[in-house]
Amino acid sequence: MSEPAPATPLRERAGRALADPFLQEALTIATTKFIGLRREAFGEFPEGEALRDRARAIKEATLQHLDQHLERLIDNVERRGGHVHYATSGEEAREVVLAIARRTRARMAVKSKSMATEEIHLNEALEAAGVTPVETDLGEYIIQLAHERPSHIIAPAIHKTKGQVAELFARELGRETQPDPEVLTRIARAELREKFLQADMGISGANFGVADTGTIVLVTNEGNGRMVTSLPRVHVAVMGVEKVIPSMTDLAVFLAILAKSATGQKLSVYTSLVNGPRRGGELEGPEEFHLVLLDNGRIGQVAGPLREALSCLRCGACLNVCPVYRQIGGHAYGYTYPGPIGILLTAMLNGAGAVKDLAHASSLCGACADACPVRIDIPRMLIELRREVGERRIAPWPERVAFGAFGRVLRRPVVYRLATRLGRVLQRPFVRRGSIRRLPLFLGDWTRTRDLPPIAARTFQERWAALEREGLS
Amino acid sequence: MTTRAEFLRRIRTEMGRTSGLFPAETSARPAQPRERLELLRRELAERWRENLRHFQREFERVGGVLHRVTVAAEVPDAIAALAAERGLQRVVAWHPDALGLDVAAPLAARGLTTSTAPAAEVAAAEREQRRALAAAADLGVTGADLAIAETGTLVVVSGAGRPRSASLLPPCHVAVFDREVLVESLLQAGLVLEAWHDGATSEARGASINFITGPSRTADIELTLTRGVHGPKEVHAVFVEQGLGPRRG
Repeated sequence: MSEPAPATPLRERAGRALADPFLQEALTIATTKFIGLRREAFGEFPEGEALRDRARAIKEATLQHLDQHLERLIDNVERRGGHVHYATSGEEAREVVLAIARRTRARMAVKSKSMATEEIHLNEALEAAGVTPVETDLGEYIIQLAHERPSHIIAPAIHKTKGQVAELFARELGRETQPDPEVLTRIARAELREKFLQADMGISGANFGVADTGTIVLVTNEGNGRMVTSLPRVHVAVMGVEKVIPSMTDLAVFLAILAKSATGQKLSVYTSLVNGPRRGGELEGPEEFHLVLLDNGRIGQVAGPLREALSCLRCGACLNVCPVYRQIGGHAYGYTYPGPIGILLTAMLNGAGAVKDLAHASSLCGACADACPVRIDIPRMLIELRREVGERRIAPWPERVAFGAFGRVLRRPVVYRLATRLGRVLQRPFVRRGSIRRLPLFLGDWTRTRDLPPIAARTFQERWAALEREGLS
Repeated sequence: MTTRAEFLRRIRTEMGRTSGLFPAETSARPAQPRERLELLRRELAERWRENLRHFQREFERVGGVLHRVTVAAEVPDAIAALAAERGLQRVVAWHPDALGLDVAAPLAARGLTTSTAPAAEVAAAEREQRRALAAAADLGVTGADLAIAETGTLVVVSGAGRPRSASLLPPCHVAVFDREVLVESLLQAGLVLEAWHDGATSEARGASINFITGPSRTADIELTLTRGVHGPKEVHAVFVEQGLGPRRG
């Protein structure tokens, strides 16, 4: 619906990632580091566990009165001289931003990292309308120069080496340089400083919108969020409706756990609270402030099966711990949001049909739910999605038939016992060194990437029955 | 285009179809945040030494440098010393009323080119000039409206005489503060934000509040930590033991 489906099937995308030795190494190093930093941060913060429960409750409680909190946010933004716009779809959000750009005659827009603007594919639309979008988060800047998409929610360019970045800067910026992160960062600083000072428009997302005060909160490490919201004459923030929180007291709770979950920092370097346009006496600040409230599938989940995913803070912790993400990386998912939460968000934005394969790109191990700062039960929703994908006949037919048959067998003890006995005989030609490594025909899809444990020589039921007989005698 | 009414109606329709996942409450806001804050400040006044030590530990952990002086008059010396060490020349600073201290004349006397922000609204052309000045400056001097020990964070509120750029555009940022603004935790900072919102700050305040936790940083290239990507590469805090002068705003 709103995002185009990837051109190649998931298996092929994943296969490419698995065959890329550099990507494999980069993923292992990055995710392992993030996991360690996060664990350390919460290790030093005993009150963290209770705050995670608080944060989870605040998100759920806010959803229960979502209309009231949004109304308060809207009223307070307007009271402070800001303008609020309403976008049901990604297309409508793009239209709103383009209309503002046209009216204010914007030629260049600097952007701070925002998954919401990625989700609505804003950059392509700006370019087509003659407005040059410039990503200013270093990682986003790199992938924009390379014409790629982010591969991680908070570290968009983790798939690139410093050598690749140096080549990119030489080609795109005409700056020959050593592959040294320090030097590369200095070049980006100089290039982007110019853009910050020239740009007519600043575009950001929003980590939170505080209803009580009409405040948009941005969390960054580089300081680009501050530039984008202070230097250009127009600031547009695109915010998913679920980002609203009631009060500053609530904000403090989220700030205490967000950076720890994302990068293991106690707090990100910059937390910027934006209260509308420049006020009298200020030297800097935009003359116009616009808030675009984005639905794009979110509102439909308020009472839907993916409601819990509306609590997501976009910290990326679930990506780092996911055994699937750690192997295939962000691009293989094929949509804006990667990782376990990304599958749910992709289904939210594009419908369950978009994740008929992705819904299975999880081992359901539960590491994501453990890492989630607001304890979103991601596996539960993935299972629901699998069921929906099956019931709506989105899944391929061999899978539907196989699982349908399996379900019927499991419900009938007699049939089940018969099937295990039969299976024990039938599996004989396929068992090699204690596991089934290859099955014939379409069943081979199952064993292509995993081994199947064979049916035991004596099943649990048989042992149990034997034990009971011994006990009775 | 979708209107506010349509948008909210859709939300209400969906809300009507569910009673939620579990019973939950948002945080109770402090009933009288300004009074609560006064109480807290009195309590904190007793523990300021301990809190300053905690602040220093965390501030240094994130790459900040803490300097301590006894009286406000020593602040320009501290600033001039670190400018001299680094060969920095051009300084932009908050207005004396916002800083609680006039640094312009003493810094000029020490050979530094210093410009302080105007205390009231100026024309667009001058704002443009002053922005260019800040963009070209080597060092920015600001106050701090809050210093959070738990995270080593300095909080600056923008406004008249309090330009945002002073803590953002120059490669070196120096914030001057005293025990009045020191709090222990992020949750206490939440109370301060409630109190500010409740009218504990003057209407002269601007539209931006920034929590600054160390120098600007990135790890976007091979996770190598690099400082000063867009904001300052260095952040210093000067603590004035006997306190700064009265501050406006």
